Amino acid sequence: MAFYTLGLTFWIVIALTIAVLAIWIYGLYFNFKKWGMGSTGYQDKLRNSFWLFIATWIHEAFKDGIWVFVKTAILDVLLLRRTLRRSPVRWVMHMTMFYGFVTLAALSGLGLFMDIIEHFNLLGLTHQAEMVKGFMELPFDIFGYMLLVGSTIAVARRIVLKQVRDNTSAYDVVLLGGVFLITISGFYAEWLRGNSFLVGDAFANSVYAPHFSLLHTILALALFVAILPWSKYMHIIAAPLTILANRGGE
Amino acid sequence: MAEDKNPAGKPLLSGFLKSTQLMELDACTRCQECMKWCPTYDVYNDRPEITPMYKIAKFRELLGSQHGLRAKLFGSKPLNEDEVDQFMDDTYMCTTCGVCGTVCESGINTVELWEAIRPNLVVRGNGPWGKQNFFPILLGKDRNPYQAKQEDRLCWVPKDAEVLDSGKIAYFAGCTAAYRQQALGVATVRILNALDIPFCMLGEDEWCCSSALVRTGQRDVMKAHAVHNVDAMKDRGVETVVYACAGCIRTASIDWPRWYEGYIPYKNVPLSVYLREKVESGEIEWKRALDNLKVTFHDPCHSGRHLMHLVGRDWAFEAPRDVYKSIPGLEYREMTRSREFQRCCGAGGGVKAGQADLALGCAEARVADGEAVGADVISSTCPFCRRNIMDGRNSSGSSAKVADQVELMAAAMGLDVTIPDNPYMEFQEQDEIACKGGVCQIEESAETKSDDIDGY
Repeated sequence: MAFYTLGLTFWIVIALTIAVLAIWIYGLYFNFKKWGMGSTGYQDKLRNSFWLFIATWIHEAFKDGIWVFVKTAILDVLLLRRTLRRSPVRWVMHMTMFYGFVTLAALSGLGLFMDIIEHFNLLGLTHQAEMVKGFMELPFDIFGYMLLVGSTIAVARRIVLKQVRDNTSAYDVVLLGGVFLITISGFYAEWLRGNSFLVGDAFANSVYAPHFSLLHTILALALFVAILPWSKYMHIIAAPLTILANRGGE
Repeated sequence: MAEDKNPAGKPLLSGFLKSTQLMELDACTRCQECMKWCPTYDVYNDRPEITPMYKIAKFRELLGSQHGLRAKLFGSKPLNEDEVDQFMDDTYMCTTCGVCGTVCESGINTVELWEAIRPNLVVRGNGPWGKQNFFPILLGKDRNPYQAKQEDRLCWVPKDAEVLDSGKIAYFAGCTAAYRQQALGVATVRILNALDIPFCMLGEDEWCCSSALVRTGQRDVMKAHAVHNVDAMKDRGVETVVYACAGCIRTASIDWPRWYEGYIPYKNVPLSVYLREKVESGEIEWKRALDNLKVTFHDPCHSGRHLMHLVGRDWAFEAPRDVYKSIPGLEYREMTRSREFQRCCGAGGGVKAGQADLALGCAEARVADGEAVGADVISSTCPFCRRNIMDGRNSSGSSAKVADQVELMAAAMGLDVTIPDNPYMEFQEQDEIACKGGVCQIEESAETKSDDIDGY
């Protein structure tokens, strides 16, 4: 387990993961509760209720029936139809970032699960867990490149297009820069570990590989998980919920 | 709402915003698409803070200072009143046209959002903007924004016109057609009569639709007007209400039902939809060809984008176009920005009353859109759009004429649309269509004659 370096142990990593997830879940609860301050209907008083937010959202999202909900979920949330209508380039950017990010997050979760199986030899599946981790290398690479393409377009758009550049705030720079940095650091970590599908072991370095992997993991957890509920990243949660609540929007 | 005008110490939120609208504030991806389309930003392009992306960010920041994580951990800081005032300015620099919502990647319903934020500012004492303050006073007192007498609601109806006291079909004229653009009212009445459609009008019982109140966040008088108008329709046994005013039909279709507790038994129909049916059934007898008249249609925001999800795209966008294309001799031209992507004329959202320069700038841009496609006439189905586009035409020195669809139709049908003498003749603001024999000409009104406090 070359990954655990600088005194980190399996248990410390598990504890940190739980702590980060707890912050993430509390962040979501905090936001839902903040939204729950609002009213449940037109010209209504403030409610300040987490559950009434959930109820209002369900009421709005299903107002036109389940079929509209499903159609909106597929076309507007999963396929980003509204973005495609406005800008194919932005659509490619968002699709690659969205699916790259979501799949990498899911794969990371699966990887951790495999680590747990391996560590405790659950059901005697250590060998199989190792095999699964081996199979995950290719999808990690593919979805990593997807995220790289998306985040590169995002950064380039903010640099090249004058109007976009002029209206880019520090807020955008830090968060978009964060995504780009995490993506790049992820690739470099993989290269150092000699696991890369494309470059093989050309950059392999067993001394620095664990440190860099740890750095990448900390960045990813800090930015994507711990900071998500408190920043612009929240649109990852709020935008789909809004599209569903507005039944696809205008 | 306006008892204590000092905002200091008052909360930013006092109701009105739904919880899903608070969620919308966090849904903005800052993609900047709204900035490309915003008609007010086109005019004031040195003020990005008036665009939806910036307004949403600012309101989120102000709310965050009161209800964010920091406020929860360490207590909220007093609101910076200068920032709130600036935000109020930015929020009211918006015609609530809704194009930002149409193009928003996150599907944020921006019109509803602005109209829900504004009442909070009004309750705090920050809003509304300038002369918009007068709307609730005027409507509460006179039931219309023009300080006109209610008993004069039908003073423009020709003596030989047949208007019933009650019936299955009602024509809701609206305040502007009743007092400021009576040629539109006369043309509508003449067409309905010519088609042998029995219809009634509410007369003194017609109160302003109150669009201006909803749009500017002043909801106090709104309920009385909505309930009164709906009850007046019900009392007359009305089943279909036709409107030749986009602002009125938007408010009657979307806003009144929110205030009326009970069943509303009639349906609201844009006059253009009603007339298209008559055109298609061959009931309309054309008497004149409007030869060599190149006409373009300005989609009103209120009957287009605002209504398209309620009534469908066909009613919202295609019906008026079909009517224009049916008029003999008329050459129809489409502006580059049309249907749900049209450019707002700039009159709505209380902007004409509050920020006249901004309204004029938007109107000038829309007149330029019409000129770009070589239109002689910019036509619409909204008296208020017409008035503002006319103002934009006058200030930009354009030669384009501005006419309502109904008046063009009445001219082609050879109907007499002479306005009977009435106390409001001196306030009439419309280009007039004068027809002699088979030839019609549009004579432009060179100036804005009244100093009204009006707005949708």
